[in-house]
Amino acid sequence: MTKKLRIFQLLIYVFLFFGFLNLGVLKKPFDPKAGIFFGIMIVIIALTTWILKRFYPMGDRIIFLLAILLCSIGIIMLYRLNIDLATKQLVWLLLGILAFLFVVLFLKRGLAKFARLKYLFLAGTIMFMSMATFIGYEILGAKNWVKIGPVSFQPSEFGKIFLILYLASALSNVDTRKKLMEPGIVISISLGFMVIQRDLGTALIIFAVSVTMVYLATSKKLYVLISLGLFAAGGAASYAMFDHIKRRIMIWHNPWPYVYNESYQLVQSMYAIATGGLFGRGLGMGHPGYVAVNESDFIFSVICEEMGLLMGFAILILHFLLFYRSIRSAIHAENNFSKLLTAGLSVMIATQTLVIVGGVTGFIPLTGITLPFVSSGGTSLLISFLSLSIIQKVSEGED
Amino acid sequence: MDNLTNNIKRIMIIFLIVFFVLISYLAYFTLVKGPEIVTRPDNRRMWDIRNKVVRGTIYDRTGKELSVSEKKSSSGEYKRVYKGGAVTAHALGYYDPQYGITGLENLYDSYLSSNISASLMAWIGNGFKEVNKKGDDVYSTLDYQLQKTAYDALGSSNGSVVVLKVDTGEILAMVSKPAYDPNNLNKNWETLVKSKNVPLLNRSVSGLYPPGSTFKVVTAVSALENIKGIKNETFNDKGKLNLGGGYTLSNDHGEVLGKINLEKALVKSSNVFFGNLGIRLENDLYKTAQDFRFNKDIPSDGIIIDKSRFPKYKSYEKGNMAQSGIGQAEVLATPMQMALVAQTIANNGVMMKPTLVNKITDYNGSIIHTLKSSEVGQITSAEYASEIRKYMRDVVSKGTGTRAQVSGIQVCGKTGTAQHIESKTPHSWFIGFAPYKNPQIAIAVIVEEGGYGGVAAAKISQKVMSKHFYK
Repeated sequence: MTKKLRIFQLLIYVFLFFGFLNLGVLKKPFDPKAGIFFGIMIVIIALTTWILKRFYPMGDRIIFLLAILLCSIGIIMLYRLNIDLATKQLVWLLLGILAFLFVVLFLKRGLAKFARLKYLFLAGTIMFMSMATFIGYEILGAKNWVKIGPVSFQPSEFGKIFLILYLASALSNVDTRKKLMEPGIVISISLGFMVIQRDLGTALIIFAVSVTMVYLATSKKLYVLISLGLFAAGGAASYAMFDHIKRRIMIWHNPWPYVYNESYQLVQSMYAIATGGLFGRGLGMGHPGYVAVNESDFIFSVICEEMGLLMGFAILILHFLLFYRSIRSAIHAENNFSKLLTAGLSVMIATQTLVIVGGVTGFIPLTGITLPFVSSGGTSLLISFLSLSIIQKVSEGED
Repeated sequence: MDNLTNNIKRIMIIFLIVFFVLISYLAYFTLVKGPEIVTRPDNRRMWDIRNKVVRGTIYDRTGKELSVSEKKSSSGEYKRVYKGGAVTAHALGYYDPQYGITGLENLYDSYLSSNISASLMAWIGNGFKEVNKKGDDVYSTLDYQLQKTAYDALGSSNGSVVVLKVDTGEILAMVSKPAYDPNNLNKNWETLVKSKNVPLLNRSVSGLYPPGSTFKVVTAVSALENIKGIKNETFNDKGKLNLGGGYTLSNDHGEVLGKINLEKALVKSSNVFFGNLGIRLENDLYKTAQDFRFNKDIPSDGIIIDKSRFPKYKSYEKGNMAQSGIGQAEVLATPMQMALVAQTIANNGVMMKPTLVNKITDYNGSIIHTLKSSEVGQITSAEYASEIRKYMRDVVSKGTGTRAQVSGIQVCGKTGTAQHIESKTPHSWFIGFAPYKNPQIAIAVIVEEGGYGGVAAAKISQKVMSKHFYK
């Protein structure tokens, strides 16, 4: 196993080497900054894997490697788009990994005891979910950002984690239907705030994660069906009430009549992917400038344009493998709280991938969210690594 | 707890399936739908790729420049300039970053914007020097002088003229009116799009008109093929054909032609005779029309031809059958289709694939592609074609088409006066070829609401043919 891991790690280095070599050559004369990026990435990976191996040989070390490979793809694309953005991303990546290592190194074993903090999690959920509604400001049609002092962040990102923590704790010992009432209300409130903030992507993820966790805890397919029914009803009601939802559906149904207006972003994204074809136009050879929010929501499209459908497949497969390894930790976890928490976090990351990739390709209605580990964005990266740290912790076995 | 573990496994499988579906969709999207999406005119990426090369020139068959890329002195950008202006507008189409690409510019875009000079081989061949990135040049089959003559001959009328080379199917002229100036799209776009006369439509290949009496050529072929001894049969044309239910079919000017045979009926364009043939032929006429590629795609190069229509009637629909025998009822044909009918008769029954491109040369001037003429098929026998040729010669020498005569050249043809629902004034048609022996060119002319076919359209044919034979 260790040998295979070492080969995988080596392949990541090779990928980074050629990626940054290409980025360096793109600029004439050769851009030495690409070399610095390459060096920092290698050090980060080498150090982190060494720490994991040295102190936690029982943990699943593939999880981190899968995530860091996704980060590498993202950083290479960001460097090509905008070096300042890539530098910021590198700093956030560093912070994310520090947070990851902090949790892994200093969190005592036995996550089960945290199940008791249910009401703390509940308070956190409500606070973060509602925050943007009251003191948020609008970016790209969604009012889901908050600025406190110099720091801007998306509170719903933290809200998601608190909701999963809360649900894991509330659902870990449900035996009567009555006990489902409270989680049901919390989920509904969270969804409601997301709809008000027009953050439909997060709403979709909250829904998927909640339904999955309720099913995991109760084994009742009926609840899933009821939830889907309520979701459909809620969806239909929002469709009738909110113009922005109507517009999203209209664009998804047929984007071509609105190429210059409502569906401009989606169509440019589809052009990018289609123009890239199987092998892509080559790093630096595409036209990412035509794609809106190309560093975040639409990064998948610009990656496909320049690195091709094959890289698109790679991203989806890496995400699936990450999901598989995470779920594997959930299966091996020893108490309900850890199982539910790990499964919830895994489903959150996987759903986010499915929703954004499905959205930018026109498979499902487009909702703006980040592609985990790949998109630019500090909050998103930090949250993803925090989630990963919990999964990593669970993978070590608890007692 | 065991339940929970099992549920987690189930969720994992569900996600595996969802990931698989999304990956499959992505493959389908990029590989199947992708190529079609990429070529949409509003995809600016393709314009950027095209802008990397100086777009090739389109020439006429004599080497005259028709469409060239010229550098604007102000911005240094290249602009497409159409030397022929409105005269060649429909045949060439337009190339405009704002309004897209159409016509020949579109169909040969991959050549015109090809960047072979940037290929490794060209680079080595040029001694590792940076060479001008220039797309391939396209030599069209058009004869600009003939095109201009046809354009001018149509005057202020709406309609179309198509001229084909009989033995090869090359398109010598293809005019559609009203036309527009492709050099000034920006200025006129609103008017062009809103105009009731649809100036952007290429009537030659997309205009569907009732062919009227010009269709009698097809009916005559069908009669020769399907009715034994029709050549020698005589028929009493009393000026009216009773279709039952109080409906009758009469000749264009109500004349009574008396005892006539097939030849005389075509020469005098007897509706009564051909209406009767339509009824007698029943579905044999449908089959012959299909042989002439009504209801079918016509293979072509450099143009896309809309399907002409010949409906199938039930055996009791005598009235419609009679009408279809004279090119009315629901029969609809493009001018290109009717030009091909004339070309087929002139070419011993062999229809040639209509082409708009002769050859393509690369940035170096060396020929990279020569288009060879090819047959669509043997539509009818050489014997029947020769028989019809004889009749069509008489149409022009002593029948309804005398105005198409060109001195010193034995012109053959068929006139048509097509009734249509939009107006009481019929469309004026003429199809023909010349010379009678060893035909060189075939023609189809339609003048919308031009009145009697023997006048307006025949006169235009006369001008175009004169130009061709007496340059």
